[in-house]
Amino acid sequence: MPVNMIVCCKQVPDPEAPPAVFKVVNNKMTLPPEVKPVIGQYEEFALEAALKIKDTAGGKITALSLGNNFVRDVIKKALAVGADELVLLEDKAFEDGDSWSTANALAAAIKKIGAYNIIFCGRQSSDWDAGQVGLGIAEILGIPAVTLARKVEVSDGKAKVERVIPDGYQVVEVTLPVLIIVTSGIGALRYATLKGIMAAAKKQPAVWKPADIGLEPSKLGAAGRRSKLDKLFQPVKESKCEIIGGDTAAEAGAKLAARLREAKLL
Amino acid sequence: MDFDLSEEQNLTRQAIRAFAERQIAPIARELDEKEKFSAELTHKMADLGLLGCFVPEKYGGSNMGYISYAIAVEELARVDASQAATIAAGNSLGIGPIYYFGNEKQKQEWLPRLCSGECLAAFGLTEPDAGSDAGSSRTTATLEGDYWTINGHKIFITNSACPLTGVIIVQAVTGKHEDGKPEISCLIVPSDTPGLTAKEMKDKMMWRASNTGELFFDDCIVPEANLLGKRGDGFHQMLATLDGGRLSIAAMGLGGSQAAFELALQYANSRIQFGRPIGSFQVNAFKLADMALEIELARNLLYKTCWLRENGRPITKEAAMAKLFCSEVMRRCVHHAVQLHGGYGLMKDYEVERLYRDQRILEIGEGTSEILRIVIARNIGVSGRAI
Repeated sequence: MPVNMIVCCKQVPDPEAPPAVFKVVNNKMTLPPEVKPVIGQYEEFALEAALKIKDTAGGKITALSLGNNFVRDVIKKALAVGADELVLLEDKAFEDGDSWSTANALAAAIKKIGAYNIIFCGRQSSDWDAGQVGLGIAEILGIPAVTLARKVEVSDGKAKVERVIPDGYQVVEVTLPVLIIVTSGIGALRYATLKGIMAAAKKQPAVWKPADIGLEPSKLGAAGRRSKLDKLFQPVKESKCEIIGGDTAAEAGAKLAARLREAKLL
Repeated sequence: MDFDLSEEQNLTRQAIRAFAERQIAPIARELDEKEKFSAELTHKMADLGLLGCFVPEKYGGSNMGYISYAIAVEELARVDASQAATIAAGNSLGIGPIYYFGNEKQKQEWLPRLCSGECLAAFGLTEPDAGSDAGSSRTTATLEGDYWTINGHKIFITNSACPLTGVIIVQAVTGKHEDGKPEISCLIVPSDTPGLTAKEMKDKMMWRASNTGELFFDDCIVPEANLLGKRGDGFHQMLATLDGGRLSIAAMGLGGSQAAFELALQYANSRIQFGRPIGSFQVNAFKLADMALEIELARNLLYKTCWLRENGRPITKEAAMAKLFCSEVMRRCVHHAVQLHGGYGLMKDYEVERLYRDQRILEIGEGTSEILRIVIARNIGVSGRAI
């Protein structure tokens, strides 16, 4: 059975960038231009989960992303690795949302896309790490959700999902449609082939504005937040160096142990 | 004028860079040390579509144009010159002649296998006594009945003696023109043809994980239909093939320069001497500035030349310039990079050591810097052919 899949992909600042380049100005994170955006790592796992199903069962993958000022070369990677279509919710109104306003907008877009069997999300974004949007979408759409998936198989209108748990994994079976939240165990996203890149370059993403998904601007982005960001700051880290000496190695060792206990580290 | 790369070109860079950093970088040093060609890595690169970059999809290629091809080779060379060499030679020297000069039957027979990475093609041009003077080939092919009989000896042939080698395009003397000059033609010789012996050449200074072979043709017989293009067109085919090949070598020089620059910059910013990073000394900062400047110029020249080729313009002069400049820029970049690394730069633990060795061939293969200056001189109105 061909499976219709939607994968939520977020464009995030490259998490590999050195922490020192991230600055907080007026409660907002700012980045120098040399930090390029990428598709979030967990969303890449979600894409790979969908591609694996397409490999075996066939089907269609629509990549969906919400934000503003998408870098086309970055977000089109989803097409280059094998997604069939790309839908961008791209507008200033979508900026600075919280998990609820983001889930609400994505759910509205998914309703507009229509027929779907599985929605894939990453377990959390690589920038804010809230990990709520996937479950939020499932709640709004009224469909079941399975979290922490490391393997997904589809047959007879059902999905068999291996869920990661602390001591191993459990296998759950769920009816479709379902929202599946993917973790790293699924395996790294495959590389784009040059043919895939050529095909992706010829495709244009569908760009939807708030009106296209029938949502009031007051429910979107910063205006639609239900949680307010009170304070964003970078903790100041201090490091001190203390030399513990001694006439012999044994004496120095004993002094070090005493000092560590004093500092409540032992 | 538009200097922006297209989406497809940017995506190509991202994809090949990610692949090279994750799949090649961790084993590049070991392959270099063991002087080992990796069939597994070659297959992985072929799976990405790196063989047949400029070949239409109906023959199994990726059909992506020369700028994207140059970017792909550049990104491979930034991580490992040997893997870049396998791909560059496989495309420009192996696939190129069959795609550009082969008849439909030859293309159907070979291109899908070559583009999928099932096998590699090599270009048998250089001989022990015919290097820069490629017209002085002594390898002969004699037509008797419906068959060519080839006798001769080729040397320094990339991809010609590895487990994946499937076919050699051999340049041979097939007769004499009326003016007494040799008639040169190219023949397609499957690597399992009786009378062809391939021997791997070992103990190279550079490109140690790329395969280099020496070929012996001893009454090696192939059907008349294995002639590539027209009889007597071999010399022209070779020159055109080398024009394309020079873009690949230029891309390798560019990628290697970029790697040397990045390593040098990182080291210069972190190595402390006299209480400050060595990059903050003007004498070193200027080295880095020169590297960045020359890389910018090299990249512009190479991409422009690729653009000319994509638009069907002649590129003989520009390809010679790009290859010459990119390979010499890399020489200066690796020199600076090793100098900035000091004693550490001489150790195999540091990547600049391999870059330094891998640079050297770029001024020799596919036209020495001296020959390239002659090519340029002949194309800018200097009088006389013999320069």
